[in-house]
Amino acid sequence: MKKIILFVLILLFQITTFSEVKIVATTTVIYDLVKQVGGDKVSVDYLCRGDQDPHFLEVLPSYMLKIRKADIMFEIGLGLELWAQQLIDGSRNSNLKIVDLSKEIEKKDIPTGKIDASQGDIHPNGNPHYWLDPDNAKVIAQEILDALSEHDPVNADYYNSNYNKFVKNLDEKMKQWENKMKKVKGKPVIFFHASWIYFAEHFGVKIAGYVEPKPGIPPTPSHNADVINLIKKNNIKFIVMENFYSDNAPKQISSATGIKVIKVPVAVFGMEGINSYIDMMDYLINEFAGNI
Amino acid sequence: MNSIRKILILFLIIFIKTLYAQSNVNPNVSAVGTFNTFTNFIKGSDEYGKLNFETPQLELFIDGYLNPYSRATVDIAFEEGEFGVEEIYAEILRGLPLDLQLKAGKYLLGFGKINTVHPHAWPFLDRPLAHQVFLGEEGFNDIGLDVSFILPFEEVYTSFDIGVFKGDAIGKTEADAEDEKSIMELRGINPITVGRLSMFYDIDEYNNIEVGLNSAYGLHAKSELNLLGDSTATLTKENLYSLYGGLDFKYKYKPDGYTSFVLQGEGILNNRDVIRDKGFGINIEKQAVEKITTFGGFIYCDYQFLKQFSVGVKYDFTYGIIGDEPGFNTLSNDDKNTTSGISGWFGYYPVEETLAFRLGVQHLTFNYNDGTSRDGETVFKLQMLFSLGPHKAHQF
Repeated sequence: MKKIILFVLILLFQITTFSEVKIVATTTVIYDLVKQVGGDKVSVDYLCRGDQDPHFLEVLPSYMLKIRKADIMFEIGLGLELWAQQLIDGSRNSNLKIVDLSKEIEKKDIPTGKIDASQGDIHPNGNPHYWLDPDNAKVIAQEILDALSEHDPVNADYYNSNYNKFVKNLDEKMKQWENKMKKVKGKPVIFFHASWIYFAEHFGVKIAGYVEPKPGIPPTPSHNADVINLIKKNNIKFIVMENFYSDNAPKQISSATGIKVIKVPVAVFGMEGINSYIDMMDYLINEFAGNI
Repeated sequence: MNSIRKILILFLIIFIKTLYAQSNVNPNVSAVGTFNTFTNFIKGSDEYGKLNFETPQLELFIDGYLNPYSRATVDIAFEEGEFGVEEIYAEILRGLPLDLQLKAGKYLLGFGKINTVHPHAWPFLDRPLAHQVFLGEEGFNDIGLDVSFILPFEEVYTSFDIGVFKGDAIGKTEADAEDEKSIMELRGINPITVGRLSMFYDIDEYNNIEVGLNSAYGLHAKSELNLLGDSTATLTKENLYSLYGGLDFKYKYKPDGYTSFVLQGEGILNNRDVIRDKGFGINIEKQAVEKITTFGGFIYCDYQFLKQFSVGVKYDFTYGIIGDEPGFNTLSNDDKNTTSGISGWFGYYPVEETLAFRLGVQHLTFNYNDGTSRDGETVFKLQMLFSLGPHKAHQF
């Protein structure tokens, strides 16, 4: 009898020791960073695909199932995932810990004055596209490390070691990226959507204008004409746009000016071969540096 | 017994928290305005071919969290020049045993997929004919409470909802919808039960499907019948019951943020007791209770393209004649006559869904069992919708 009890206790201990922390990430960038820090001690899933606009996600019951099983949910915050609360409510997971990764981010584009829909889809607490600054990837990874270590203190050293490896790797990459981006520094670029401020300020790219007249507002012929004039006047080399947006307006502008239109992924799995945050940043840097 | 006590204590904790919690956070307030103009082509109508303007409609939504466990919603509607409470309910979303959710108040019941969606969010402009006949002009909207369970399947999100409701919505299909007294006289206090089992499945990243089974059972009317047909006979009290069964499905293909294709349909089977006149000769007033089985349903497809445009078509069929006054031989009690409809629409959404323009046409065909001939009716409608304030993400 004693042997059986001992066996059951050992089995339970094994299960407890090796049970993974279940994570759901709202985006694939978070998904990758959780994998980097959590390694094989976590099981992680994501909601928004890499080729989807994270502002607009349909509330699917299958997403609720993913959240239902999770211990921790990581989100970008700053109003990017306005759909998240409906999914959390639908999941009925009362033990879910929700971690807003924007807490320690130095926010940019915080609107001042009266905020209303005449300004487009603005985010009252700041621009949420902060993951495009690689320095902020470290901040995100740090938040993930803290949350995992708190939830699973037994493996805190393991998470810390993974975090350090990731940061070291990222630092090495950043040297390469900054070196490549030297030739883009100070150069004016047109972007499609107002999601590039963190990237632009990190690498010294000048944001000359946007194809969208206001954030989230579809391009209009009169605004396209303004953009065309801007391009001609400033000899701008390319338009950068997320690959999930329609390129109709950028193509029209391109046919009038000859400007290049670069469609890029801004999330992991946003394009074939983009399987990690570093892959994504590599791709972005190469596109910017290669087209200037 | 012990677990019931625990549940009661948990309820008390949640509601007491709600009552005494102080809050400095405002709820979400949003307004949806609808303005319709229409032209009908109904032979013999004074309005034939003329442009009509409906009084604009308003829906004012107030919703928010009461506490970390529950939220409440109020929907005040202004329609045909009058204000009314369309919905008012509270939900406990989390914290209950077995991950139950509880909803109580007045609201659109989960009978079928379309019924819980407000008309401004439908892709088409007109309420499905079967809903008009079996669920009422304003849909299956009733007072009561229901509980919702998630069944433990890994890959298929399966929920089971069951509730008890006052039942007035069913009574509205055979009495004046605005006259609560006549509905009460018909039904008395006899709650109905409504249940739904729904299953959602991701076929792949771009294709999703949901199917649902629905039922509603209860007493729809009480009546005193002359079973003998003798004018001096004592009338016999009879309770009349109805059972609605429903099947619905929705398939959606959404390859990107600019394009989607939806194929959706619902069917309702109506099995109910009805009163029929059986009089002849000296028993001219003889009546009897009969069981009838009728049905109705619709199927539509909607194609959204370039994000700003959508086109779609819908086919409807139902027992009952659309436009008939509610009564014991009409609409849900009619097992002789049918109405079918074909409709099409074109939607334009200039910037997201804060503003929409929709042009629709519906043609109705009436089929009378006794051979009565009636021309079909065609109505063109132009609709403008706006949504002011925060609006939720789209639910599948």
